[in-house]
Amino acid sequence: MTKKNFTLPENRVYIDKVQPFVHEDIEKWPIHVQYNNREEFIKQVVELTIKNASWLTKDGKTFRRELKNILYQEKIRLTQDPWKSDDPKEKLFWKDIKKQIIASSTLEYQNDTRDVDEKILKDILNYYGEEMTPNFKVKSYRFVQNVLPPVYVRLMSPLKELFFNFFSSKMNFFRKMKVTGDVDHIRSLSKQGTVVVVPTHFSNLDSPTIGYSLNAIGLSAFTYGAGVNLFTLNALSRLMNNLGAYRVDRRRKHRLYLEFLKNFSKVAILNEINSLFFPGGTRSRSGALESRLKLGLLGTTIEAQRMNFERDLKNGKKIFIVPATLNYHYVFEANSLIDQHLKQVGKEEYLMDEDHSSFSALKRAYKVITANAGMVVSFGPPMDVLGNIVDREGQSFDKSGQKVEIRDYFMLNNQLTQDSQRDQQYTQILGEAIVEKFKTHNVVLSSHIVAFTAFQILRKRFNHFSIYEVLRLPQDETTIPKTEFRIIFDRVRDRLIEMSENKEVLLGEEFDLPQEELITHGIKHVGNYHDKKVLKMNRHGMIYTQSMKLLFFYHNRLTGYELEQYI
Amino acid sequence: MEKRIVGVIGSGSFGLAVSNLIAHNYDVMLFSRNPDVVDKINNTHEHKDQKLSEKIIATGDPEEVARKCFLIFPLVPSNNFQEMLRNFSPYLTPRHILIHGTKGFHIEKDLANAEKLDKEDVYTMSELILKETSVVRVGCMAGPNLAREIADGQVGGTVIASRFNEVIKEGQKAINSNVFRAYGSNEILGVEMAGVLKNYIAIASGMLNALGLGDNAKSLLITRGMAEMIYISKAFNASEKAFLGMAGIGDLMATCNSKLSRNYRVGYFLAEGKKLEDIIKEIGEVAEGVKTLKVVKLLSHYGFNAPIADALYEIIYGEWSIEKGVNFLMSRPVSFDADYVD
Repeated sequence: MTKKNFTLPENRVYIDKVQPFVHEDIEKWPIHVQYNNREEFIKQVVELTIKNASWLTKDGKTFRRELKNILYQEKIRLTQDPWKSDDPKEKLFWKDIKKQIIASSTLEYQNDTRDVDEKILKDILNYYGEEMTPNFKVKSYRFVQNVLPPVYVRLMSPLKELFFNFFSSKMNFFRKMKVTGDVDHIRSLSKQGTVVVVPTHFSNLDSPTIGYSLNAIGLSAFTYGAGVNLFTLNALSRLMNNLGAYRVDRRRKHRLYLEFLKNFSKVAILNEINSLFFPGGTRSRSGALESRLKLGLLGTTIEAQRMNFERDLKNGKKIFIVPATLNYHYVFEANSLIDQHLKQVGKEEYLMDEDHSSFSALKRAYKVITANAGMVVSFGPPMDVLGNIVDREGQSFDKSGQKVEIRDYFMLNNQLTQDSQRDQQYTQILGEAIVEKFKTHNVVLSSHIVAFTAFQILRKRFNHFSIYEVLRLPQDETTIPKTEFRIIFDRVRDRLIEMSENKEVLLGEEFDLPQEELITHGIKHVGNYHDKKVLKMNRHGMIYTQSMKLLFFYHNRLTGYELEQYI
Repeated sequence: MEKRIVGVIGSGSFGLAVSNLIAHNYDVMLFSRNPDVVDKINNTHEHKDQKLSEKIIATGDPEEVARKCFLIFPLVPSNNFQEMLRNFSPYLTPRHILIHGTKGFHIEKDLANAEKLDKEDVYTMSELILKETSVVRVGCMAGPNLAREIADGQVGGTVIASRFNEVIKEGQKAINSNVFRAYGSNEILGVEMAGVLKNYIAIASGMLNALGLGDNAKSLLITRGMAEMIYISKAFNASEKAFLGMAGIGDLMATCNSKLSRNYRVGYFLAEGKKLEDIIKEIGEVAEGVKTLKVVKLLSHYGFNAPIADALYEIIYGEWSIEKGVNFLMSRPVSFDADYVD
């Protein structure tokens, strides 16, 4: 088979050196200024939350009932689901709230609890504010910026390479982590407004990966919400807290906390702190690209944009949304992720197999430091909060290329108006635009295409089986003759090349390899960290898998492109 | 009432009737591409047998409409809708709200020569607005709205559907009066589908009437007609909800019983033995149902159950007699009643 010639899309050029900061003076970065002015920041979040809390404060009875309910839920959380990271003083705080409620209970008969309840509400919100608001220390930032990337890169390198090149410049960050996208464009926009980066998410490695990438392209630091559970280790906790990561407690599900969290994000964006959130809400269990997003935090960008115009109708600062897709040849947690996915989707149809021996744990540890992760970060085109493309000057253009003013979306009869139902609809529109960009700016790696091809061949071969039966196929039923694999692989590859020419997807640089080498590359790299081989080729030219589940996981990255018809 | 000018695009009988409705509440700027019509309306306040309120001013300048009105009702036939949008598009911004009242599809392919249509080829008017302009706040007005009756000031109602509540609210403020009630709905796709699909049921209804069949037959047609409208719409992911409201059962009742309905008249004259081309000439305006029928036929590979459309298609585009069509429908196996509701 000959290699089909095609030209690389422009934005598949990888950046090769760390860019200087767009804003040189770290002390002047909004994240530094705002988080170091802690009291004022918390005050803004508290005030905004109270302003938007009419659902809670609308009448005395509701107000009191909701406060009692919040107290009850917080107590349940502390007693029934305590975590190491919980603040030891927290119990005292809620005891005090309880005292205040009891002390004023006689007032309930006279419907006169409003003053007390307003104070209680403020106390609670201030508590949340103190807990959530991080610091930003220049020293910590510098430390992470200078020390961690080299360590990270060395961790991600095969042992042999590491041995010969430990002190060499070959340990360049960008040899291990490929960053692609119109970086200059994003840098230019970061001078004009707040940048909100929304990446795909399927690994705990995503946060450092995207964090380093953003640092490497010279943007001011980003704030992001990190689960309270990550704050368990003292040193890590302090470090993250000093880097602008705000604490989010996922156990708290009551409305007041969720509103507070959203308002926190809004105030951060309003104060021009670059923000990062994973719009899928959680790691993609199936390994597929996110197709449905959690709209809660995403909606804060729309509200913040409107509030920017409330402050200054003519020159309100713009908020820019930058979608990013992250891809790896292997995902550390693939096994547990796909198990969770199948359990959730298949319920009793799915039987989990347990084989986590200590030997395999050792093997895993060894492989962590010897594998080649092949990380690729792809920044999509920056958009405004309605999903319109923006140019370097920040001007928005709708899908047909017509100039649009973002302010106009919030106007009714020439007035800037607030309408939460409208905001919800806009959030959906933005969500759809992000999902589309995830798809078109996803970088297909050799590992994805081999996994996709192999799994689909087997799926088709056993099309009378349920997906769960297919996933339980014994190893010897999974063999595919290389000749058969090659023919089908070629069809899928040709289609992907065609799609990349139509700007429907991006292809990893391995796609420049001749077909034979691309297959070998994919088989070698797909999930190369797992104990069981995701794909292997024996000397008789048979391709097989030791784990259908993992094969399924890596295959899922290419679902949604309608490639199944080429199998 | 605050001072405001609401735009209406289209000076057909429906556009004129709606302009008069809005004039109860606001000033109206009525767009017509025909300069003679513009002059006539501005000079005589009368057109197509309708007396027009003095609060209605006609113009032929799309830029003026877009500049002066943030709320605009495009009310032109589906065949001209895209061209109209392209004229207005340079002046439309996300500031505008568009509520259309056109009960038809836009087809991206050449319908006369197409052998099959995919869902992506078929646009409702709100989808076409989103595609052709920068406007996002889009709504649709549909219901039992026979232009003649509105023009005569008779009591009536409609539904305004949009995913945006503020679009519904603004539409209601413009349309509501003591003779006309506009209800709201978020099911815009369902409302649009109901408005379009009822057109061919109305053709069938006209035929039944001309054949001298009675009220039982008509009720059978309307009830089963609504069922198949729902089957088709579900294939487009619209819910059945809209069909129980003004745009569904409401519009079906009116249009299947009224000699004022163009689609009904097409069916009636066909049953009398007249030729389709002659009928279209005589009616003067487009009967959307004839086109809808073809669209439904070309979409039938999606597997929905639409026997009335199948029979009508064979009668209008094929060789079937009406009697054969009725026999075909009456000899089919019977299924469960109202099985579109869970």
